[in-house]
Formats: sequence, C-alpha cells, structure tokens
Amino acid sequence: MTANGIPIGDVLLASGALFVIGLAGALLRRNAISIFLAIELMMNAANLAVLGYAAALHSLEGQIVVFFVIAIAAAEAAVGLAIFVALFRHTETIDVNQINLLKW
Amino acid sequence: MTVALWIVPALPLAGFLLCLLLGTRLGKGFVSAAGVGSIGIATLAAWSRLLPYFRDGGGAVVERIAPWITAGNFSVDVSFRLDPLSALMVSFVTFVGFLIHLYSVGYMKHDETDAGYARYFAYMNLFMFSMLTLVLANNFVLMFVGWEGVGLCSYLLIGYYYEREYAAAAGRKAFVVNRIGDFGFLLGMFGVFSLFGTLDFGDVFSRAAANPGRFAPGLTVVCLLLFLGAMGKSAQVPLHVWLPDAMAGPTPVSALIHAATMVTAGVYMVTRCNALFRLAPEAMAVVAVIGGVTAIFAAVIALAQNDIKKVLAYSTVSQLGYMFLACGVGAYVAGMFHVLTHAFFKACLFLGSGAVIHALGGEQDMRRMGGLAPKLPVTYRTFLVATLALAGIPPLAGFFSKDAILTGVFAANRPILFAVGLFTAGLTAFYMFRLVSLTFSGRFRGSAEVGAHVHEAPTTMTLPLVVLAFLSAVGGFLGLPEVFGESANRVAAFLAPVFPPIFLPGHEVARHAVSPAKEWILMGVSVTVAAAGLLLAWDWYAKKAGRPAERLAASFPRLYALIADKFRIDELYDVLFVRPFSWLARVLWKVVDVLVIDGFLNAGAFVVELVGDALRFLQTGNVRNYALTFLLGIVALLLIVLAG
Amino acid sequence: MTPRLVFDVAAGLAILFACVMVVHRHPVKSVLALVVSFFALAVTYVLLAAPLIAAVQVIVYAGAILVLFLFVLMLLNVPEEVRQTPDRPIHQALSAGAIVAFAAALLASLRAYGATRAAPSAELPPGDLAPVARLLFSDHFLSFEALSILLLAALVGSFVLARREESP
Repeated sequence: MTANGIPIGDVLLASGALFVIGLAGALLRRNAISIFLAIELMMNAANLAVLGYAAALHSLEGQIVVFFVIAIAAAEAAVGLAIFVALFRHTETIDVNQINLLKW
Repeated sequence: MTVALWIVPALPLAGFLLCLLLGTRLGKGFVSAAGVGSIGIATLAAWSRLLPYFRDGGGAVVERIAPWITAGNFSVDVSFRLDPLSALMVSFVTFVGFLIHLYSVGYMKHDETDAGYARYFAYMNLFMFSMLTLVLANNFVLMFVGWEGVGLCSYLLIGYYYEREYAAAAGRKAFVVNRIGDFGFLLGMFGVFSLFGTLDFGDVFSRAAANPGRFAPGLTVVCLLLFLGAMGKSAQVPLHVWLPDAMAGPTPVSALIHAATMVTAGVYMVTRCNALFRLAPEAMAVVAVIGGVTAIFAAVIALAQNDIKKVLAYSTVSQLGYMFLACGVGAYVAGMFHVLTHAFFKACLFLGSGAVIHALGGEQDMRRMGGLAPKLPVTYRTFLVATLALAGIPPLAGFFSKDAILTGVFAANRPILFAVGLFTAGLTAFYMFRLVSLTFSGRFRGSAEVGAHVHEAPTTMTLPLVVLAFLSAVGGFLGLPEVFGESANRVAAFLAPVFPPIFLPGHEVARHAVSPAKEWILMGVSVTVAAAGLLLAWDWYAKKAGRPAERLAASFPRLYALIADKFRIDELYDVLFVRPFSWLARVLWKVVDVLVIDGFLNAGAFVVELVGDALRFLQTGNVRNYALTFLLGIVALLLIVLAG
Repeated sequence: MTPRLVFDVAAGLAILFACVMVVHRHPVKSVLALVVSFFALAVTYVLLAAPLIAAVQVIVYAGAILVLFLFVLMLLNVPEEVRQTPDRPIHQALSAGAIVAFAAALLASLRAYGATRAAPSAELPPGDLAPVARLLFSDHFLSFEALSILLLAALVGSFVLARREESP
C-alpha cells in the first residue's frame, strides 16, 4: 500500500503501460519529433514508478530524483529540439528514415 | 655572515638561465656580464666561506637543503658537504673557472654570433653549476647528478661548432665513452648501497671505518666499478680515446673542462672514496697500474703529435695517469696536490695555446708555427713558466707535486711503477719543450699572410694567463716535501682529516717513511731526468730545427707511424666495437624491426580491417535500427534476470 | 470518491491519451494529447503525496517543455506523417514483436517482484513541501547547483546548434 490506500501494484502497472506505449511510439514512428515525444513519455513512466516506490517506502529521496529528472529532461528537450531545427534546416525533413548519413 | 653552500652552485645556475633565456635578445654585453659575473660572484661567495675555513680548519660541515628521494629504507637528501677535500676543489674550480670565463670574453667575442655567444656562456655556466654540485655533494646520488651534468656540458661544448662534422662526432664520442664509465659508477653506487645501506658520504665512510673486516670482501668489486667511472671521466686507458678528440671544442673549453676541472673529477671521486679503496688493496693495485700505464702511454703518443692542442690533450691524459698512480699507491694527498697544480699550469698552457691559435687565425699545426716569441711576448713568457712547471723544474709548482707522487710511489715499494713515473717525467719535459721550441723559437713557417697578422691577445685574455702563470710558479709552496720541515706540507696537513686511519685487519703496518737523504736523492734524480728531457728537446728542435728527430723517426718508420697514429686504438675500437654494433643495429632494424615487429603490427591491422569490412554493414545510419537493437538487448537481459 | 478510484481514473486517462499521442500522425495533435496525459499524471503524483512534483510536472513539463515542442513544430511547419507502404516491414514486425516480448517480460517481473518488494505503509507520507525543500538544499545542494550549470550548458548548446550559419 502506498499513500491514500493506493496499492503499489496499480502504480507500477500504470507506469509499465505508459512505458510500453512510449516504447512503441519510439520504435514505430518515423517523425523524429514524435519519437522524441515518446521518449518523454517513457521518462514520465519511470518518474511515476519512482514516485510510487517513494511513497511506499516513505522516502523523500524519490521526489528529489524525479525533480532532477524533470530538470534534465528540460535540458535534453532544449538541446534535442535545437538539433532538430539545425537538421531540418539542413535536410528539409525530420523523417528518421531519410536521415542516415552516418552509415558505412 | 657565512654564505650558505648552496649559493655557490646556484649562482652559475642563475647565470645559465639568464644567458639561455635572455642572452640572444640582449646581446653580447649582457651575456658577458651575466656569464662572467655569475662566476665572479660565485667565486667571491665561495672564497668568503673558504678563507675562514682554510685559516681555522675544521671538520666536515653538512648543509641539508631538502629530502629528495625517499623509498623504503632508502633515502637521499639534497645536501652539500664542506670538508677539506671539497674546500680544496671548490677553491680552484671557482677561481680557475672565473679566469677562464674572463679569457673566453676575449676569445669568443669576434668570431661568434650573438646566439652562439649566449649559447657558449650558458653551457659554461651550466658546467660550473654541475661541477660545483659534483664537488660539494654529500652523497653519491647528488654527486652523480653533477657527474652527469659535467658530462652533458662536455658533450655540448665539444660539439659547440656543431656545423663541423668532426666536432659533432667528437662530442658524440665523448658522450658514448663516458657512458661506459658512468655505467660503472652507477653499478658501483648500487654496490655501495647494498653493502652499507646508505649513500651518504659520512655514513658510508664511518661505517667502513668502524668495521673494515666485514665490508672488505665486497669492496673490491665496488671499488673497481667506481674506478671504471673515474676512468671514463678522467680519460684513463682504455677509455682515454675521447679526450684528444674533445679538442674540437673551443680552446677555453679545453682549458676549463678537459684540463683543469672535469677530467680531475675521477681523481676527486677516488680520493673522496679513499676509505673504501684502502680496504680493497687489489682495486688499489689496479688503479696504480692503470694510472702508470696511462701516464707513459699518453706521454709516448704526445711525442709524435703535431697539433698543438693534441699534444696538450695527451699531456693531460698522461698527467691524469700520474694522479691515479698516486691514488693507487695510497698517496692521495700527492694526487690531490697534483690536481691543484695541474689545474694552474695546464689551464695556463691551454689558454696560451688558445692565444697562439687566436693570433694565427685558427692555425693549430705546429709545423706551420715558429718564431712567435717576439710577437707574443706575454703569451710566450707565461707559456714558458707553465711548461717548466709541468716539466717539473724546481721551484715551480709541478716539481713539488710530481716529486710528491714519485716519493709516494717509491715509499710504496713499487719499483716498476716508480721507473715508469720517472721515465714519464722525462718524456713530459721532452714533448713540452718540443712544443715550445716548435711554436715559439726558430723562424715562422706559416704563410706570410698569416704571419703579418700575428698580434698579442687582448687584456681579457692575457690577464688570466699572467695570473695562472704566477700560480703555476708559486703554487708548489703549498705542499713542500717533508724535508723542509714537519709542517711544510700545508696541503697534507689541511687534507689530513679526509684520510681517517682505516686499515684492513692484518695490514696495520704504516708505510715506511722515506729518509731525508733518500728524499733529496729522489728529488735530484727527478730534476735530472726532467732537465735531460728538456735540454734534449731544446737541442733537437730549437737548435737543429728538428733534424735529429726526423732521422730517428726515419730509422724506425713503422714504430713512428704507430705512435703518430696514437697506437691505432681508435681503429681497433672501430673494428672491435663500432662496426659489430652498427652491423647489429642494422640487423635489428632491417630484420627485427621492419620484418618482425612491423609484420606483427601490419598483420593485426589487416585482421582488424577485414573484420571491420564485414561488420560495418551493421552501421545502417538509421536511428530506429539502433533503438531496436537496444530493446532486443534489454529484453534478453530481462529474460535472463527472470529465468535466474 | 476514494483516492484509489481517483488514481485509477487519472492513470487510465494518462494511458488513454498516451495511446492517442502515439497513434496520431499529426505531430501537433500528438503534443496536445501528451499535455493531457501529463496533466493526468500530475493528478496521480498528488495522490502519491508528491504535490511539489505534481506542480513541477504541470509547470515545467506540460507548461514549458511541451510548449517548446509545439513552438518548434510550428516553426518548422512539420508536415503530417504520410502513410508509406511498405514502411520497412521487417523493422516494423521485429519492433512489434520486441515490444510485445518486452511488455510480457515487464508484466512477469511485476508479478514476481513489484508488489512484494515495497514495504507496506502504515501511515500517510507527508505531503508537505518543507521537508523536500530542506533535503534538496542540504544533502543534494551540490547536485542542485550542478544542475543549474547543466541547464546553462544546454542553453548555450542549443543556441549554438540552432543558430543560422552565415555561409553554406
């Protein structure tokens, strides 16, 4: 049981479901920004699991970790989107199937 | 106020850095001031410390600067030691060094660029720093630092005219031959440490003195290794080959490094370690024999040389042999005394020869000299004084030191070595007067154009000559033989604390003293021999223009050629060592390096390239492929965890 | 409504809109779906006694990061993803298989470990901000400051990356 009588199993199940959905998006979409969004979703799924355990274990450390993850996600989003802007200006596309310069 | 000992080597180091870093930019005036001034101040600093020490005497003073290396039970400090032995060395190293630096200003000024001039004084200052470190060191390791430092400077200064092929080759040769000796010194140092557990001079010698019987067995090898180092540095047979070639450097360098100071480092080191050598009679015997052989061997070669500096170089080798002969028979005081007097007159001779070469525009062959006495009056007179001193004519310095050595050899009951020493004294007088006669008397044999330009050297060059000639004349009175009174030998009295009474068990008997009557006879004999050699040379070369010598050479053509070719030692080494080594190096290069090592590397690279060729198709450039691979890996990991 | 019911509804909404996000081919709509999903997640955070994180989730994640996404999408005018046939069928099939396998493995591990490892809670954890803040600015102060440098670096980096180059 976590706070408010919510069982940890429910939290983890929701987290896992979100993670798998994000994974499917990351692997199946071709639009780079959609892939990026899916990755954000996976990160949130992880956050949810961490918070669930934090609540179950009465630890505030979990909240600290999630706080840092969100901050890092912000930095990542800024840099990632900047890369997409530069990339799009260069190749006129953000379809990852078209972007394969770094191959043999 | 007393000057700390570290100041003395630190000043030349400062001069070195100034000349090196700022010399080229600030020009010759600055370099002269910094290069000579640093040595001048160092000399003043050293003498301000030494004068009270000479007056009052005193034991060993050790000044510890900082711990240097500490590893387990091994520890070495940077520490300096002032005792009578190092005091004696520092006194003349600084003073003679200063005179030679002064001389260099006149000698080097005209024919060098600013950069070359700065380089010259930088190296000379670095040499003085290394030499003073060597002399003042309080342990073997710091001494070795100075030892290598002087070797390096010797190499740099021999090859100073590096654009000339033979000068660069001579520098290399000096370096390589010295390496053999340094190797021996290093091994000897290890031996000392394994025997005594310390490398501090005071500790090593007091432990050796406290328990002579225990250390004696191992000491023979250790002493021979140390002597190998001394042989390299002091150009003893068979490692003497580098010193004559070293004359390729500028003449003041020959005077400072290859006559007065560095080459005597070997004698200094053996004397410093006398407490060890005296416990190894076999090693002592080797020292004496090598010294004697070197003395006569080099003197014979000097007879047939025509290059003025080569004669002086072989003379130096011969005199160094004399010093080792003294050390080998236990007459360390006589050896050190000869180091001192030799520094005066040989530096004077080299500087005088430099003045001659300078006057003749670079000519070094005595066959194209002659009749220079009226044109170079100061040079001629100082040269003559120094020659007489070297020849051993009383009452000049060389007489007393040479006589002390011969007396020592006689007292040690070594008749053959005594005969060798005596004969060498005659040869020395002969070849030196041959040199003087060929150079200064008769008529000028060079080209008229060169003869017209002959001029006396500037004051910066003649002043050191006069001072050194004066010291060559009177220096001997510091060490009068015992017949002039119990305390007449002030050098012996001063150095006495350096030679603690150490005897091998069973060898406690002191040497039998030479009676005054015998000593007078010895002196008479040595003077007679020297005078005979001198007069013969005068007669042959000054009066009869060398014709008797030519007839003699013509009647033994093969022997003469052998001597003139320096006994073909260089050719022998070329066949024995140089060619096999270059052949071996060639094999290692062509076969081992190119075929084996490069082959392995190329084979490895080839395999990697093949694998890479195959695997690079995995690199699709498509991010989603990579992500999929990533996921497959995670699934595999999860399955492993679950199954486990 | 019990907290548990609220949690289940919020989590369900989050999952639903996550699905919408993945399925929709128009990126702007995907982002909007994700915003809703994140709001729902914020609700679950509140229920898990993390009101600070919930606030940060709404303000930073939904409010700043996703708006940045929208901004970039509109700046670039990214077209709708066109259905391609075949869009690398082998990759799609392999991916689908791997995702299913992963989901199965996740479920299995949840069953095996998830619920049992967490210690049951006897009392409500504090939903207070102060203890979190105290922890953040004492034990984790250095990390917190390092984070500000990271953000600065990201700022500079994105500026450099997105800058229009003068010459082609």
